[in-house]
Amino acid sequence: MELNTVQHDALVELLNIGFGRAGASLSKLTQQRVLLEVPQVAIHPVTHLNQALGRLVDERVASVHQVFSGPVAGDALLLLDPIAAATLTELLTDVPPLSMDLDPSAREVFTEVGNIVLNACIGTFGNMLGVPVSFSVPDVDVTSVHSVIDRMLDSGEAFRYALVITAGFRLRDSAVTGYVVIVLTVQSLKRLLDALDRWQQIQA
Amino acid sequence: MTARQTPADAFTAGMLRWFENHATHGLFTTDRDLRIRTWNRWLATATGLQPEAVIGEVLTDIVPSLAERGLDACYHNALKGHATVLSHTLHRHLLPCQQEDGSLMPQTGRIAPLVDGDEIVGTITLVGDVSERVVAERQLRAQIAAAEDARAIAEAASRAKDEFLATLSHEIRTPLSAVLGWVHLLKVREPDAATIKRAVDVIERNAKSQLALISDMLDMARISSGKVRLELADVNMTQVVAGAVDGVRPAAEAKHIRLVTDLPPGVAWVSGDADRLLQVTWNILSNAVKFTGDGGMVVVSLRSDRSGTHLTVADTGQGIDAKFLSQVFERFKQADTTAARKTGGLGLGLALVKDLVTMHGGSVEAASPGPGLGSTFSVHLPNRIESTETTAARQPLLPAETTLEGVRVLIVEDDPDAREIAMRSISDAGGMAITAGNATEALAALADSTSLPHVLVSDIGLPGTDGYDLLAAIRQLPNERGAIPAIAVTAYASDADAKMAMDRGFRAHITKPYLPSALVAAVRDAIFHRA
Repeated sequence: MELNTVQHDALVELLNIGFGRAGASLSKLTQQRVLLEVPQVAIHPVTHLNQALGRLVDERVASVHQVFSGPVAGDALLLLDPIAAATLTELLTDVPPLSMDLDPSAREVFTEVGNIVLNACIGTFGNMLGVPVSFSVPDVDVTSVHSVIDRMLDSGEAFRYALVITAGFRLRDSAVTGYVVIVLTVQSLKRLLDALDRWQQIQA
Repeated sequence: MTARQTPADAFTAGMLRWFENHATHGLFTTDRDLRIRTWNRWLATATGLQPEAVIGEVLTDIVPSLAERGLDACYHNALKGHATVLSHTLHRHLLPCQQEDGSLMPQTGRIAPLVDGDEIVGTITLVGDVSERVVAERQLRAQIAAAEDARAIAEAASRAKDEFLATLSHEIRTPLSAVLGWVHLLKVREPDAATIKRAVDVIERNAKSQLALISDMLDMARISSGKVRLELADVNMTQVVAGAVDGVRPAAEAKHIRLVTDLPPGVAWVSGDADRLLQVTWNILSNAVKFTGDGGMVVVSLRSDRSGTHLTVADTGQGIDAKFLSQVFERFKQADTTAARKTGGLGLGLALVKDLVTMHGGSVEAASPGPGLGSTFSVHLPNRIESTETTAARQPLLPAETTLEGVRVLIVEDDPDAREIAMRSISDAGGMAITAGNATEALAALADSTSLPHVLVSDIGLPGTDGYDLLAAIRQLPNERGAIPAIAVTAYASDADAKMAMDRGFRAHITKPYLPSALVAAVRDAIFHRA
């Protein structure tokens, strides 16, 4: 399954709305201007995710994971290189991290940031589809990329797709890049793409 | 009833009761109207609000700060299915809970929808106390900061050492290459008289410069380890300054620098170590000559008033940048540490000046209007301690400043040569020396009431009864005899030896070899300060 140009553009536009909300929430919370941009979106079969992410992030990643359920269901992840995660929390809180593996306080801040970003993304999908979406409480981890993906492969259906979204945080003249990965069942993805087509027609 | 027969609900109810009573987190639930439905014991303890007071009440009425801080949005989101994490770093706390010390408990929070099947029936909140973590992180941060400070200091010290070694190597090689160069010239060809004279001059000048360099280094090392002791005496500062001016005159003349002296007509007396004060003056003067260009001028003036004796050396040299002014007296510091610098030296001279002046109870300062505008160094030394009454009291005993006229000194020394040096030191100063070769002879001399000595000068390493035991025996004697002031003169030169001598009742400790003036000064001091 691939995104056609129209779907790609519509998805980027929609995600930008979600990221805009997340940026506004983070700005309000930290009392500084935080911008969140979506430069790229790609879709991969979940079995190829390892390969796709391997090109983007190093061996170890800091991740925030949330399960969402409802008519559109799946897993949502925010992935950042651990050093980028430490940098981001420092930029947001002004508190330098105690270790490069994210100390407990930095992990907590990173969880809150992931929670805000993922809720905004998935929430936007829910709004577009006009369906309620529930979220689990997020969990945070600093581990290898493949153990994050293996955990995802072990649970749920095998035939699933992943939206890999580049997330660019801009604050204090610095830029930190991370990735939002949304893993969807075939059915959920199809529902989402249909909704995108309808939404695009209404916009046009 | 066995486990198999227990209904599942009973386990759930038991677990909930456990959370109610024993959970180490705060746990509460609300319904869809945000009315509190459960409130566990942890929360009752932490907030002081008992369950009966809060259950049934609207959350934001019980905790108004939630709405004031916009956190009520988290509950409205929870009712829409969204879970929220609140970090301590960004929120400090969820519920204001005052701790024993008056501060608010640091907390984390998790707010989530409470779901029954597909339906959201309310919200659930988990509150964690993170005080221990916050304290541990604060301590860790303090440790990291302390370690970083220590590292920065160590790095600066290491840089200073590297620069010093580079300078040292340069400074030692430069005079050596001049010496070796001229020695080579003398060896390879038949030199005429003029060449020989020139060679000897150059070799002498460079050897002296290297000697001065090594002396500075050794002095610095001795001052650092507290091993420099001043040989205090009355010093004529006018004479010291004149001597130093003579010393630097050849170097000044070589650079066509005018050396102007403005010395007081009389004598400026200070209490100090003549050699060290000469070193102080010479270092400042040679520094002025070193940093003053061809055809410049150096003005030396000395003034004495009630506040002390003041030496000022002003030059028309390269001056000092305001940024560097505060560091000129630090060790190994020269404003320009690059290889291209024009002047030599280790940057120890002024550090030595400061240490030596401080040891004299004085102060030194540097001033400069800026680079290229010359600089002025001022040394302030305290005047001799002299009060009118004590001067009057010792007047008959010590008519002249440097003499011991009328003073009887008992010298106890087993070594004949050392005894003679001590005897001559005393008699040359006009005093009367009574000598003893051991403790028995010393005690006998004290028994003779016709010529009772005023001061005892004793060696410590005496055969049989040593200097310490001798003094102990003397202190047992009645009247004036037992109270005689005592000076230890010994080759035991460590700080510990000096302290031991003081502890055993000697009022001064002079190490061998010593200058006659040091012994005379100590004897005069013993009489002058005699209680």
